[in-house]
Amino acid sequence: MNLIVCIKQVPDPLYFDRITLDTVTKLVKREGVPLIMNPNDLNAIETAIQIKDTYGGKITVLSMGPPQSMEVLEEALALGADEAILLSDRAFAGADAVATSYTLASAIKKFCEFDLILCGYETVDSGTRQVGPQLAEYLDIPHVTGVRSFKIENPEYLIAERRLENGYMKIEVILPALIAVYNDANDPRIPTVSGIMNVASKSLKTYGLNEVGLISADVGLAGSPTQMAEMSEFKQKRRHEVFQGVPKEIVKQAIARLKELQAI
Amino acid sequence: MDFELSKEHKMLRKAVRLFAEKKVAPRALEIDEKGEFPFDITEEMGRMGLIGLVNSGSYGGNGMGHLARMIVIEELSRIFPSLGFFFQAGNLLMFAIESFGNEDQKKKLLPGFCSGKTIGAFAVTEASGGSDPTTMMTTAVRDGHGYTVNGRKTFITNPEVADYLGFLCRTEDKFSVFYVEKGTKGYEVTRREPRPGFRCIPVNELVFADCWLPKDNLIGQEGKGLNAAFTTISTIGRTGAAGVALGAMQGAYDGALKFCKERIMYGQPVANLQAIQFALADMNTEIEATRWLCYLAAWMLDRGKSPREIAPEISRAKLYSVDMALKNCIRAQQLMGAYGQSPEYRVEIFLRDMLELLTAGGTQEIMRVTIGRSITS
Repeated sequence: MNLIVCIKQVPDPLYFDRITLDTVTKLVKREGVPLIMNPNDLNAIETAIQIKDTYGGKITVLSMGPPQSMEVLEEALALGADEAILLSDRAFAGADAVATSYTLASAIKKFCEFDLILCGYETVDSGTRQVGPQLAEYLDIPHVTGVRSFKIENPEYLIAERRLENGYMKIEVILPALIAVYNDANDPRIPTVSGIMNVASKSLKTYGLNEVGLISADVGLAGSPTQMAEMSEFKQKRRHEVFQGVPKEIVKQAIARLKELQAI
Repeated sequence: MDFELSKEHKMLRKAVRLFAEKKVAPRALEIDEKGEFPFDITEEMGRMGLIGLVNSGSYGGNGMGHLARMIVIEELSRIFPSLGFFFQAGNLLMFAIESFGNEDQKKKLLPGFCSGKTIGAFAVTEASGGSDPTTMMTTAVRDGHGYTVNGRKTFITNPEVADYLGFLCRTEDKFSVFYVEKGTKGYEVTRREPRPGFRCIPVNELVFADCWLPKDNLIGQEGKGLNAAFTTISTIGRTGAAGVALGAMQGAYDGALKFCKERIMYGQPVANLQAIQFALADMNTEIEATRWLCYLAAWMLDRGKSPREIAPEISRAKLYSVDMALKNCIRAQQLMGAYGQSPEYRVEIFLRDMLELLTAGGTQEIMRVTIGRSITS
């Protein structure tokens, strides 16, 4: 089974307080913020490895981003992916969800064969949850989001459990398909030493605009239907009050105060 | 010169940090309180390939090297120094067999050690001391196709949980290294020493009473044991102790820094106070200095230098890291006030653990002797 996992390098949420906004360029300034693999993407990789362990096949990890995104692709290779592709070109910068999924879809059509594409359900930086479904639309394949578990009955289709607010639904999906894996689907593994040492022997290719066969008007900021019109910093002010006494009394005081503030 | 770690080393650090924070940190306090050896954690470290870093692939290791081992010990000790100390002691017999053992011994013992399924220990010290082998009383006397061993070893790390013990003893007027399997008649672990630190890692007394061992249990050549033991302790024990001290000091510093940023006094975090910043700056500088001494020794071993050639570098790393770790764990406690003395904040554990390192792998004084001789000879 040929599996593709789409992953993204994002700022580490532990350091989100270091992120600032440039109101002139309307860009998020991430300088000095450590970058990590989007945590939910680790669930997608773990799912892919488990599928490969059961059914065999090959895992290709795919990412679009600046050259430093190579780090998360190498991390995926250390975890057990077989090959990696980085789509990196200045023209890809500033892409919204549509331009991102269009670029990913174009690269998949050109370079990959697949039975199943896996994504994380959402990213911690933008959190649109749109890239997975849009990618499936561009590739004209079915998709299921919020997947917490699934079974592959035969090479033809899989049955996925999709998480809902107050339950879950079972969906039968014909392959090839795309699933966006929820963050409680599994406990992602940690790379082993042999996994780390094998990275150097695995294929990691970088493709730019021309190699993917795209034009700059269709990708990046130019190809994005959503544009940043304005941005302003929101200063959050917090204050605290301390209630004292026995727990029962404190709870009463806290509830009364919250009602007074019309918070509940 | 290039001070940049390789891509593999960086990935290894990240993986071990994740392992330590995710799998070890939530249980560290409980494990330390109970004083029980964390077999499940060491087995998982084996599965990850962390134990056989300086053993070759032919025998279940991965040969990533001494710098990789230093990074692993540092990262584990940053969260729970006892696990770093497990490497300090647990790798000794593995190294002795890989470096001095025969092919059968390597095939028989190393895959189990590397995978974490079996555990080793290595014994030199006796009641009369550890640094001066001339006082050693344990003997192995030729007896048929083997040797009969008699004697007593003290303050040995791991025997209680070890499947195999390597040990140095007298053979006639010279010294040799042997190994003994747990359960062998005449070999008994007789006492667990009460210790202030590394509570989950047993430190034992053990006795050989007419313990007969086949000659296959001789590691290396008869009479060449002193070199084997020195090489093993220097390469593995001293660098290991240095790495544990480095990691623990980093952990204490991280805890103190976090505390000082969050602790409000007089309307502001105490980290804003210059007196606190000076203390943190000194800690930060001493940690960096320690790190490069430790990495240098490990890097030189990876470049094929023998522990004899770089005895001063190894000794400096062990001496300085342990001295600095003790100093900075106390400093971290001071910065955290009464909270620093609570095990929950871990610095208290780090400080107790560091006391153990004053002697582990050779006393601080022996390190000074080694360095002193090298600069005056």
